[in-house]
Amino acid sequence: MNSKAEKIKAASIDPAYYQAVTDSIRLAAVKLLEAGSVSAVIGYLPGRRTGTASPAVVTDPEQAAKLIFSPACVNNLSLYLTKAKKGVLKKGRIAIVAKGCDMRALAGLIGESQIKRDDLVIIGVACAGVYGRCSDRPARLDEESIARKCRECSVHLPEGADLVLGTLPELPEPDPSEARELARIEAMTAAERWAFWKEHFSRCIRCLACRQVCPFCYCEQCLCDKNRPQAVEQSPRPAGNTAWHLVRAMHLAGRCGGCAECERVCPMDIPLNLLNRRMAKELKELYDYEAGLVPQEKGPLNQYKEDDDQSFIK
Amino acid sequence: MPQIITEENLRKLVDLLVKEKKLVVGPKKSGSMVLYEPLGTGSELNLDTLPRRSSKELYFPVCEEILRFRKEGGVVQVDDVDRSRFPETVLIGAPPCDAASPSILDAVFSWDYHDEFYLERRKKGTIIGIACTKCDDACFCSAVGLAPDAQQGSDLFLTPLKGGGFSCSAVTEKGEKLVAAHAPLFSEAASAEPVEFPAQGMEKLDLVMIKQWLSGHFEDPLWESISDICIGCGACAFICPACHCFDINDEGSPDNGVRRKHWDACGFSKFTNHASGHNPRDVQNKRYRNRIMHKFKYYDDKFGKTLCTGCGRCVRACPVGIDIAEILNTINGK
Amino acid sequence: MCQPNKNIYLPNLATIEAIVDETPDVRTLRLVFQDEAVRDSFSFRAGQFAEYSAFGSGESTFCIASPPTRKGYIECCFRGVGRVTEALRGLEVGDTVGVRGPYGNSFPIEEFFGKSLVFIAGGIALPPLRTVIWNCLDLRDKFKDITIVYGARSESDLVYKRELAEWAERDDVRLVKCVDPGGAGPDFDGKVGFVPTVLEEAAPSAENTIALVCGPPIMIKFTLPVLERLGFGDDSIYTTLENRMKCGVGKCGRCNVGNVYVCKDGPVFTAREVKAMSQEF
Repeated sequence: MNSKAEKIKAASIDPAYYQAVTDSIRLAAVKLLEAGSVSAVIGYLPGRRTGTASPAVVTDPEQAAKLIFSPACVNNLSLYLTKAKKGVLKKGRIAIVAKGCDMRALAGLIGESQIKRDDLVIIGVACAGVYGRCSDRPARLDEESIARKCRECSVHLPEGADLVLGTLPELPEPDPSEARELARIEAMTAAERWAFWKEHFSRCIRCLACRQVCPFCYCEQCLCDKNRPQAVEQSPRPAGNTAWHLVRAMHLAGRCGGCAECERVCPMDIPLNLLNRRMAKELKELYDYEAGLVPQEKGPLNQYKEDDDQSFIK
Repeated sequence: MPQIITEENLRKLVDLLVKEKKLVVGPKKSGSMVLYEPLGTGSELNLDTLPRRSSKELYFPVCEEILRFRKEGGVVQVDDVDRSRFPETVLIGAPPCDAASPSILDAVFSWDYHDEFYLERRKKGTIIGIACTKCDDACFCSAVGLAPDAQQGSDLFLTPLKGGGFSCSAVTEKGEKLVAAHAPLFSEAASAEPVEFPAQGMEKLDLVMIKQWLSGHFEDPLWESISDICIGCGACAFICPACHCFDINDEGSPDNGVRRKHWDACGFSKFTNHASGHNPRDVQNKRYRNRIMHKFKYYDDKFGKTLCTGCGRCVRACPVGIDIAEILNTINGK
Repeated sequence: MCQPNKNIYLPNLATIEAIVDETPDVRTLRLVFQDEAVRDSFSFRAGQFAEYSAFGSGESTFCIASPPTRKGYIECCFRGVGRVTEALRGLEVGDTVGVRGPYGNSFPIEEFFGKSLVFIAGGIALPPLRTVIWNCLDLRDKFKDITIVYGARSESDLVYKRELAEWAERDDVRLVKCVDPGGAGPDFDGKVGFVPTVLEEAAPSAENTIALVCGPPIMIKFTLPVLERLGFGDDSIYTTLENRMKCGVGKCGRCNVGNVYVCKDGPVFTAREVKAMSQEF
């Protein structure tokens, strides 16, 4: 094998690593269900198409023996523990497979009193990365197919999980394309930036996949669904679309765990995670707050304290 | 003798149609994807990739005005939309899964009441379909009665040939007229050997059998098992060539405003919500069941057609990987 | 049904001629079409509905509550529950309302000729039957006995109070008025009990009789078995279904109950048809 091929191989993740995680998950899930420690395990099952996986709430060991972990396991499963999926919550103690980015969502939800830590068995995965959207889904996850968020991942090891399955292989250093893109936009003039987002939002069709897939969008009635008052126009036109995305970014500021699912699921390839990432940066600068693996008090925009800085009010 | 057109001439055709002040729409590279967009020149026509969105929006726009209202001197005036200004449109480069969609939707939009917003656009629209030379594991047009070279819905149908160029079939009078009006671009060939069409992974579905099963299984554990993970967004409905639910809303003020219709989806939680708070489809299973029922039973009951062209977009777009082809396979197997 | 190139979403304009507050939250609007040609030609059948616009807020679906036998105006009756209905309640006499319709199927009144009729309604569901009641009273000699059983949660929730009094006065109509237990004031002159119970007590004969029922789902649920016990067959019971509607013309895909579009195949159905539907309403 020549050195270029070797380099390419080294820049991709050995499927054997994923298989090992799969085996560990199956063992753990089956054990938990058979022992009755949990009433359900939320994990991933393979899809019909090669390189795809779907979330699954399995309640019997036979199904649990089919759970997988692969680069196709893109979904943030904590979504299924929120108010939006009431049926699952009622089942009792639940085990959930969680990557590091998913753990940030879990931590956030616990911090917002949406779920109790004691109700969960967190099956953490030492995650090497998952497919980005529009990837070819090759057998080996590589520079081309790895998700943008994974390129700069700092939570490969999900601390705080009840179990951490998998041994991380040597990880390649993929090009941090998202950081670069964010810097590129930050360097734009206001007019250029406005044009950038205007173009993207004009393609939004208001499918609301971004909202529905977000673990933090659990409001029983979304502000943007109300018509008294009609805060955001319902029709998918540029002005209303822009308002929709800005409102959502604001409502997520300080809460978003950076799982980037919103960006992945957008059928129109709108780079939503850039918005959330920038908001997270602002919250860090202004309030020294960032989402992490440890459940914290609610974010600075979600609560009021007597000693909040008011110096900016002139 | 089969009629053919070279790729160069096909692109010239686009240029000519644009010169004729027609709105020419075709697959065009747009940012990170290919979309059906107005073409300025033939060089913009992209025949390699299935556009992310279907072409239904040429007849059924994402959002459109249906009337305007204003108060003039205290008197309410309501103004219609001038549909005579809808442009003559040529859709070029639609694969069978997109070309067939208007021929399926015509029935509902002319069911007793004629939706002139749709029908006027249809009248002024010509479709140049093109056979598919590649498919992926989400495509299943063959399984629902279409095929990579199905001519249903096209006015003029192009089949890529071995060695380049396309053979042309004028399927309708509109297609014939289009060819006649641009005759120099077309020529006759001694023979025209089409490229090989890709074989799709799925076997043909027995749609009659599926409909029968659906008729008898409104209540079935299957619904919960397949749709428990559905998150209730509108991605599948919106990018589908056949889904056509819409909402009507007033925007602006009573003194000066617009009434519009825009895409809606039966997957949204409040789609069937009554003002009283009663919601006949209050859980996601019921909503997803309605999707499958509507596409593979109700539409057939009413109009004798299946509301699906097997384009696979919903399979690719679903945030949680719900695979309608797999579901149909499962039902077929029962 | 459709003129070429006509915009099916374009409403006719009507002026509010009169407002009656039936209850604290239920209002009747009497509407007169502004265009003379429409005024003269507008016709409908009992059971049909229309889409009423409060321009700027949207459209709402209500039955045409006035009888088709009375020309020159139409009426709608609705409760203020949301954006459009509250906007309609904000309008005054002389203001403009949009009216799109008439849509839907209707009660086959002609098939009821020579029969007796029993009307059973609850609360704000009287309007869809009121149009039929007056339609039939305007053709009184075509029918045998007419019985009306109508109830609401409380006295103040009874709609068309003036007409209830009129019907009570007539000797060719048997009116049985009732309110739910706890809903009667000291001077209430009707029965106390839920509509299905009161109906069973009133025990109208099922012989050569058509029953027309309209009410909230819970009332229907308990009324149908009573009618069955009284001897009414599924083809002799008619109801009008409600569902969330938008276009009213079978396009927007919102109102279907299974493969039945309430706006096109309904809203009037027999009990047999309702029982055959997918149970999602």
